[in-house]
Amino acid sequence: MAASETSNGTALRYAFGNVLSFFILLLIGVLAFSIRLFSVIKYESVIHEFDPYFNYRVTQYLTKNGIYDFWNWFDDRTWYPLGRVIGGTVYPGLTLTAGTLYWILNSLNIPLSVETVCVFTAPIFSAFASWATYLLTKEVKGAGAGLTAAVLLAMVPSYISRSVAGSYDNEAVAIFALIFTFFLYIKTLNTGSLFYATLNAIAYFYMVCSWGGYTFIINLIPMHVLLCIVTGRYSSRLYIAYAPLVVLGTLLASLVPVVGFNAVLTSEHFGSFLVFIIIHVVALVYYIKGILSPKMFKVAVTLVLSIGLVVCCAVIAVLVALVASSPTKGWSGRSLSLLDPTYASKYIPIIASVSEHQPPTWPSYFMDINVLAFLVPAGIIACFSPLSDASSFVVLYIVTSVYFSGVMVRLMLVLAPAACIMSGIALSASFDVFTRSIKFQLPGVKGNSQVDAGDTSSEGVVAQNEVAKTDKNEEALKERPSKKNRKKEKEHVEKPSVKAQTKKRLLVLPFEASIIAILLLILLGAFYVVHSVWAAAEAYSAPSIVLTSYSHDGLHVFDDFREAYSWLSHNTEVDDKVASWWDYGYQTTAMANRTVIVDNNTWNNTHIATVGTAMSSPEKAAWEIFDSLDVKYVLVVFGGLVGYPSDDINKFLWMVRIGGGVFPHIKEPDYLRDGQYRIDSQATPTMLNCLMYKLSYYRFVETDGKAFDRVRRTEIGKKHFKLTHFEEVFTTHHWMVRIYKLKPQKNRIRGKAKKSRSKASSTTSTKRGETQRKNPWH
Amino acid sequence: MSPTHSLPLLLLLISLLLISTSTGSSDSDRVSELQSLQSRSKTGVIHLDDHSVSRYLTSTKTPRPYYLLIFFDATQLHDKSELQLKTLHSEFSLLAQSFVANNPDPSPSSPNLFFCDIEFKESQQSFALFGVNALPHIRLVAPHQSPKQSEQMDQGDFSRLAESMADFIQAKTKLNVGPIHRPPFLSTKQVAFIVLATLVWIPFAIKKIVKGETLLHDPKLWLSGSVFIYFFSVSGAMHNIIRKMPMFLADRNDPNKLIFFYQGSGMQLGAEGFAVGFLYTIVGLLLAFVTHLLVKVRNLNVQRFVMIVALFVSFWAVKKVVYLDNWKTGYGIHGFWPSGWK
Repeated sequence: MAASETSNGTALRYAFGNVLSFFILLLIGVLAFSIRLFSVIKYESVIHEFDPYFNYRVTQYLTKNGIYDFWNWFDDRTWYPLGRVIGGTVYPGLTLTAGTLYWILNSLNIPLSVETVCVFTAPIFSAFASWATYLLTKEVKGAGAGLTAAVLLAMVPSYISRSVAGSYDNEAVAIFALIFTFFLYIKTLNTGSLFYATLNAIAYFYMVCSWGGYTFIINLIPMHVLLCIVTGRYSSRLYIAYAPLVVLGTLLASLVPVVGFNAVLTSEHFGSFLVFIIIHVVALVYYIKGILSPKMFKVAVTLVLSIGLVVCCAVIAVLVALVASSPTKGWSGRSLSLLDPTYASKYIPIIASVSEHQPPTWPSYFMDINVLAFLVPAGIIACFSPLSDASSFVVLYIVTSVYFSGVMVRLMLVLAPAACIMSGIALSASFDVFTRSIKFQLPGVKGNSQVDAGDTSSEGVVAQNEVAKTDKNEEALKERPSKKNRKKEKEHVEKPSVKAQTKKRLLVLPFEASIIAILLLILLGAFYVVHSVWAAAEAYSAPSIVLTSYSHDGLHVFDDFREAYSWLSHNTEVDDKVASWWDYGYQTTAMANRTVIVDNNTWNNTHIATVGTAMSSPEKAAWEIFDSLDVKYVLVVFGGLVGYPSDDINKFLWMVRIGGGVFPHIKEPDYLRDGQYRIDSQATPTMLNCLMYKLSYYRFVETDGKAFDRVRRTEIGKKHFKLTHFEEVFTTHHWMVRIYKLKPQKNRIRGKAKKSRSKASSTTSTKRGETQRKNPWH
Repeated sequence: MSPTHSLPLLLLLISLLLISTSTGSSDSDRVSELQSLQSRSKTGVIHLDDHSVSRYLTSTKTPRPYYLLIFFDATQLHDKSELQLKTLHSEFSLLAQSFVANNPDPSPSSPNLFFCDIEFKESQQSFALFGVNALPHIRLVAPHQSPKQSEQMDQGDFSRLAESMADFIQAKTKLNVGPIHRPPFLSTKQVAFIVLATLVWIPFAIKKIVKGETLLHDPKLWLSGSVFIYFFSVSGAMHNIIRKMPMFLADRNDPNKLIFFYQGSGMQLGAEGFAVGFLYTIVGLLLAFVTHLLVKVRNLNVQRFVMIVALFVSFWAVKKVVYLDNWKTGYGIHGFWPSGWK
């Protein structure tokens, strides 16, 4: 009604508002993209860390050989001699996305390299993610909240940490997919349109393709549906939002090779099926209620209830029996440790030992979502006044994700979008109140607008305008719904707005206090921006493949890793096998294009233990193990000269433990002096004679004459020694990577070796018969 | 030690056992004594003291026909949570129970295994005899070993509680412990009762849900619930539960003082977490209070006063968190300034 009165003026205003929000969104996209470029500006356009190198290599393969070859790819460059089925063991979403980007750009004659596309995929998708946040929040609380949430998400540190340029990992696209799936779910819930429901299933499919975290969606949405049903909010829109998602989504999910039949077989998905049954029962009840008279309905209820209960009990009994028959009750260890936080620490030391899986302390929240932590409770309360289907969903989202983030620090990433949405809602609501208070009480109009005198003329006009605006806003929000629902929605919107019109005029706060409050809120926002920019620039943009350090004489760059990998690719045969600890497997295959024994996809513990055993054995035994694996070169990472702490000597105890776990002749106490891990003169003889020690410290004494290790801060125990079975072939500039070649076997034992070769398996080349039992590979 | 000398000391034991102990009791007597002691004990753990140690260990000739697995206990240390003596002891009893249940008829050919515990206060001599000076301590005395030679269970062997102790026994004695019978969380009667109660309750619940008058329909409950979960999570309470962190520590330098805040980002204390969680939450709550409730108040002065207080408290809370974070992790917030612009 207000709209019809001032149609022309408000329409213009509207158009202006829409154009403005469009440009704001554009700027938010630019912000999200550019804040993640610090890594490129400060370092260079490289791929970061370890896993991204694998994704990069897979993308290269995809763009070169096409999708079918990628789907069927058996990779013989890793896990020699076993190999790995790549097509069936990766989440293909990220690779396909970057591959598509590359293909589009090249067909537009923009010749970017695959690497460039991979480096910038994450920032591009961060921009998409902030737009998706806008859409989602707009569905919940209107455009203002949407814009605020989008700008918060564009620079939330937790998300930046996983999506800086170069960090080419699944999470980069998965967070976008997560938010977008939630948006489409809410959109379907608000409109009841089957079109959005279908889109929702497709977005869910994209999420399943991208990240294992899709189980969060397939449990959160059923929870919300159940919540709606239990609190009496069932509607046909809810049915349309949920049922197609389960049917289509599950069918699509099982198309992804990694998921396959897990989509119907594991307990993570059972909740959705149970809710699927429940929603059908409820839908039936509502339908029958509609066609029967109240009396008949009561009879029907008792009938249906009794039958329904029996059926339900039967189904539940079958489910329980199915689930109980498996030892972990059908849940994977990681999911279980989310439900029972103490589970992992009790039963799965591997999961408990990963630093990403630690429970966070309170400073982590301050680091990762910063001031949003203060605003979230206000957002929760704003969502409850009034509570709608959409706002109850975001409340559920924040509550579950904040709980999960409390169990595992890694899931802070899932919390971040929820925290942004909530804070956006909170900020928008408070700005709304404070600016209104200031606007209506500006010194010019203050004389005749005492707060209670809402009905004075000038105040009335202003307020009228304001209400008209908000009214229109709300309408605009619902503008897109299909025509069928539109009428209903309008009625729904208009009723409260009449009330609001009479009330809103009075809802103001004192003028001066509002100004202070706004200033403080802006200060808080500024604090957030400063922190986020700092986090993006300093904390999260180091690529870890190129290292830098500042000292009194300026900046030092350590580019040893790439030096070593390019040495390998230029100076070794294509089919040579390189052994190193698994951390460097992905990088070696991607950058040096050489076959590795183990890599970061730690699927075969025995194989890793073999390498660990070789590294912990004396030279001769190690040579035999490596030789049996056809290894030509051994690569070790050594930080003692420049003080790089995450080198192989510091990881060595893990090699001993993992090796000893499979081959019991390796015993951890042999490497420890009185329970202490040391490499100085007090070190045990086993330690001083093991391969890792020798390869790391060979010729180290020649650097400074004392052989002082700057990581362990001590002089090493054994300084002068010769290598008998290995020869040094390359050491990088700062000694961070050292490459050794296995010496060929001596002539005099060739006769013997030939004999044993005929007996041994095909993977074995030459070895002495008498040492066979010591060799763990056999 | 001569058997006649030990006779009077054994009187208590004898009266308890109602077994006539002749001075020259044989190995089989000892075994049957131990067996009856074991069957008398509720958990299958035999309580030893200095006298019984001498009777079953020191005064016998090796090889004895049995293994003894001895748990060294000290009641006065039960309240030291970091030693976990209570947990270990209950796990030990569980192990004993399971062993007895799984091996009801020990084969006569292989040596028996008995589970024993010794209390420090009553049996200080035995502690000295075994050379035990740190707890927790579990020892296995094989048939041919003297107390000093006996093997100690490593820290790693009781890390996974009863299961790893069982592995230790299997490795050292070649005796099969079998599956550990943990008592179910709820007894069968309780389970039956709960199932029955739920079944009775379901129709009423459905009726109420259909009518829409349960607690679940009260948004205030949901609101406070979600805010509480938020508070609980951001305070790092999960960390405290998983790591079993205490609420506070006693100061090492000054025992009367308590430490509530721990410096260093990897760890936090309980009270510290809740304090900061409270600060995190209060700001949002005050903001929501001001924007949703205070606007409805009609008195201008009340509004003004409450708002100033709320703003002041929020400002203080944010400042406090920034300060504490700086103190704890050493990270002070500062802008990023490109080096070229200086």
